Amino acid sequence: MEQSSAYEGQPLHEPKGWWGRYVFSQDHKVIGLQYTCIALAIGLTGMFLSLLMRMQLGFPGLFESIDAGSYYQDVTMHGMIMVIYLLTALFLGGFGNYLIPLMLGSRDMAFPFVNMLSFWFYLLSVLILVASFFVESGPTGAGWTLYPPQSILEGTPGADGAGIILMLASLAVFIIAFTMGGLNYITTVLQSRTRGMTLMRMPLIIWCIFLATFLGLLAFPALLVGAIMLIFDRVLETSFFMPEIFKGGEVLDYGGGSPVLFQHLFWFFGHPEVYIIALPAFGIISELISCHARKNIFGYNMMVWALIAIAGIAFIVWAHHMYVAGMNPYLGFFFATTTLIIAIPTAIKVYNWVITLWNANIRMTVPMLYCLAFLITFLIGGLTGLFLGNVAVDVPLSDTYFVVGHFHMVMAVSPVLALYGGLYHWYPSVTGRMLDDRLGKIHFWITFIGTYLVYFPMHYIGFLGVPRRYYSNDQYDFIPQSVNDLNQFITICALIVGAAQFILLYNFVVSIYKGKKAGSNPWGACTLEWQALESPPGHGNWDVQLPVVHRWPYDYGLPGATADFVPQNVADEDIT
Amino acid sequence: MTEVINNEKEKFMGLTHAQVFMYLLMTVISILFLFITNAYLFRMNFADWQSLPMPTLLWFNSGALVLASVGMIWAKQGAKSGSPTNIKIGLTAAGIFGTLFTLGQITAWQELNAVGYFLASNPANTFFYLITALHVMHVLGGMVAWLRVSFKVFLGSENTATEHTIGLLGIYWHYMLLVWALLFSILLTT
Amino acid sequence: MAFVIVTTIIVIGTVLWNFITPWWFTPLASNWGALDQTIIISLWVTGVAFVLVSGFILYCVVKFRYKEGHKSEYEPENTKLEVILTAITTVGVIILLAPGLIAWNDYVNLPEDAMEVEGVGQQWVWTYRFPGEDGVYGNTNGRLFSSKNTFGLDPNDPNSQDDILIRSNHLHLPIDEPVVFQLRSKDVLHDFYIPQFRAKMDLVPGQQTNLWFTPTVLGTYEVACAEYCGTGHFAMRGIITVDTMNDFQSWLTEQPTFFDTMNEGTKGQGKQIAQTLGCVACHSDNGKNGIGPTWKNSFGSQRMMTSGETVIVDAEYIKESIVNPNEKTAQGYAPVMPAYKMSDDELDAIVEYIETLSE
Repeated sequence: MEQSSAYEGQPLHEPKGWWGRYVFSQDHKVIGLQYTCIALAIGLTGMFLSLLMRMQLGFPGLFESIDAGSYYQDVTMHGMIMVIYLLTALFLGGFGNYLIPLMLGSRDMAFPFVNMLSFWFYLLSVLILVASFFVESGPTGAGWTLYPPQSILEGTPGADGAGIILMLASLAVFIIAFTMGGLNYITTVLQSRTRGMTLMRMPLIIWCIFLATFLGLLAFPALLVGAIMLIFDRVLETSFFMPEIFKGGEVLDYGGGSPVLFQHLFWFFGHPEVYIIALPAFGIISELISCHARKNIFGYNMMVWALIAIAGIAFIVWAHHMYVAGMNPYLGFFFATTTLIIAIPTAIKVYNWVITLWNANIRMTVPMLYCLAFLITFLIGGLTGLFLGNVAVDVPLSDTYFVVGHFHMVMAVSPVLALYGGLYHWYPSVTGRMLDDRLGKIHFWITFIGTYLVYFPMHYIGFLGVPRRYYSNDQYDFIPQSVNDLNQFITICALIVGAAQFILLYNFVVSIYKGKKAGSNPWGACTLEWQALESPPGHGNWDVQLPVVHRWPYDYGLPGATADFVPQNVADEDIT
Repeated sequence: MTEVINNEKEKFMGLTHAQVFMYLLMTVISILFLFITNAYLFRMNFADWQSLPMPTLLWFNSGALVLASVGMIWAKQGAKSGSPTNIKIGLTAAGIFGTLFTLGQITAWQELNAVGYFLASNPANTFFYLITALHVMHVLGGMVAWLRVSFKVFLGSENTATEHTIGLLGIYWHYMLLVWALLFSILLTT
Repeated sequence: MAFVIVTTIIVIGTVLWNFITPWWFTPLASNWGALDQTIIISLWVTGVAFVLVSGFILYCVVKFRYKEGHKSEYEPENTKLEVILTAITTVGVIILLAPGLIAWNDYVNLPEDAMEVEGVGQQWVWTYRFPGEDGVYGNTNGRLFSSKNTFGLDPNDPNSQDDILIRSNHLHLPIDEPVVFQLRSKDVLHDFYIPQFRAKMDLVPGQQTNLWFTPTVLGTYEVACAEYCGTGHFAMRGIITVDTMNDFQSWLTEQPTFFDTMNEGTKGQGKQIAQTLGCVACHSDNGKNGIGPTWKNSFGSQRMMTSGETVIVDAEYIKESIVNPNEKTAQGYAPVMPAYKMSDDELDAIVEYIETLSE
């Protein structure tokens, strides 16, 4: 152990000057904020693209600049930005960076320099992505799944220019950034827990981020391989994924490849990706619901094992995205079964959240409102997932608006509600001030009701059979005029929800200066990030001594204590 | 710099930070090569697949990689017994043979290209170039780490962490040899 | 309290909506009623779960709202309760999964002795092939495609000659006759989807996929592409008419065989060529502008280009636009058209056809 102390006992590098403190910072809190800001900025772009897309669906022809090509570019970039560059980056890069060392009682990440590099690579990947908007023929419009052959052939926007190449390059850089960050998170969780912080005393959000990072580290290489091979096919005209193709009156130079191979690689990454987003959201909800209901989380052990089960099974369900994609149809039996099995641990998590509310003392704070709304939308999204996972039901519903409704409920609305709950909850820890409560509630109601009205009706036009990714529905007789009316209604709702996000932005900026002073532990939470010496925590997080952990993180309403919570670093004999 | 005290911490199986990082990194790299070989085995069942002959040079390259690993073992032993000379000999050998391997792989590509096995002419060729290039890139990553350690050893003063560092570097190099052995045997037998 | 009221309305509204929704399944017109039934079962099971869980949440929020000085009950684990809940969920999952797997088993086991049709997709039209009198498909090869041999059939294969080719978006099928579709694609992924038949399957270039159903109601149905296939995806519409056996047979006999199509000249075939190459997906013949400008009354007209210059739509311009479409792009349209390679005869035929569309 002597040699290891040479590594871990090294003094912290005090940041030098303004640049070292705020730009090239190695402090996990600053890096977390940098991740958060960039992710929110690119996320805002993604939202704007979705509104453009909604304008075309709700009011076709109103904006002449939205032609079919640019519509598909908007769809593609919206999906990619939201899934990868907003949610993955924000949950793991933002929340993960900020919370892991603070909640575990460590001074920083295990490798602060690698952590900083991770952010800069992420920024580089975002810049490459943004650059694709400014090249000739624009960004790729291949759909966020980037399925070959169409993603690299003429006839798809951005395929003949640099759009698709930049997209794939950006993904590769993102994966490098994620790998550097991810190795760091895992090493930190395994190695840098303070004394007493055993694995089974970690807050559930740390478990969630830890497992989500594991999923990412094991799943992203599949996408990397797919992306490299697709770049080869596009630039060097190899035939990994490209079969004989007759297009534009001639047989192309490709031959013999398999488009389905790409789909396997993509979804081997793509399905765990769903849980990379969902697990941190689960974690946020677990923290928030326990803290704001002033009640211990129910069934901690079961929750942890359910998470591990979800993370494990997440690797053997990928082909449920491909039931009708031309793979061996008999695989459908296997993947339908695994997919419905994964519903069981997921349901356990939901049960444990709602049972936590039983006999609780529920404070209807803004974070709690987001939690409860998350439970409702996640219920809808999870239950509709049972339709699509069940292979025969998937046949009529796949690639219709039912799918759009389902995955937006489960991996857009739900994680974003959890995300907002988390932002309201931890804002005081970051800035030392509270967000405005009234603005928070207005923002909550518009977001919750608005998104519900946007996505809930989509399930029913999915039953009707309206296919997704249609630029216009006019040509089809089976689609009645009422669908267009509904589209108009949805677009109006979406515009209102979009506008409401600026309330949050305003609240964010103004509260830094004008917010109520928060004090060190405004919510009365047990976890360590609220027990730091300074508020907000300074460089190195803790006093000369690290905190020592004596209990699990959910001692709310502990019998025998006067206060309704006992922080993790309070010893039994110190309870008053 | 602030003096800080890090009290005793919860550790995972008594490993150091760098060890955990290295083992995780090797897991991720393994997954990457697992996927690429998977894709290789999937794609080779298609009708247009035509295997290409393996250049004899690859055997010599493999030998170089083995010798580079031996060099790392030598350096590790030197660090254990506290002999700076042996560390230097071992590191130098590892560096030379690692470079030879890389140059040898590049020469092998040129040889194949010269006799008409172009990258895009058959999926077997494409996979050969892609797999070997990915491996060489990871070997180059090991060379960068080697440079860092060598700078410390040759220019710096005696470093207490040398044995630990050289041990980790050695593990990565042995791992690269193992990956190459597996890839090469797949390339040879299919 | 606002939360309880609003969320109660949302939950009740969500449940009631299923009974008053104006958007529901299209009328079933095939044998796949089992798929509808599994959806209905799923709706009931998930509906019950939704009401129970959200009802429980709302009850808790009302009953256990914050009281100053009150402390919640401390109960970290209750193994018995967790086991019961897990067991109930497992039962629910089995109820959902079992009918689904049974229906899937029917879906993937193709019936013997069914009628066979090949569906071929390309950007952005559907074409079809029947095996013809001998009941055997001729061999195809992706390398043999040309603007003449649009199915990539092997001309030397004796089985090819009598294959019946449907070179338009309109297919007829006989009623109450199981039909197996062999699906393939010339260029990119597509998905053959007829909402009223519930059936759906991707078309994958370089391989064959299968799909079967039995049409049960006479009428005309739409084929919609359900796998994104490029800019014209939403315009990839086909028609299937379900006929009586007699009507179907008489329609089928009017269709050309492969032998016929290989021996027809290009003169006067402009419409047919435009159809089989997929031009019609973007360029209508009825005056309605789509992804590209309509051909109706376009010949001889003046057109603004994105570069600002004005050109007259004549034979030379049309040919250039086919062979090298992004050289000049008409104002108001995206430069998305792929280049087409055709023989001079074929180009002439198309120009001639476009000319006839102008009055």
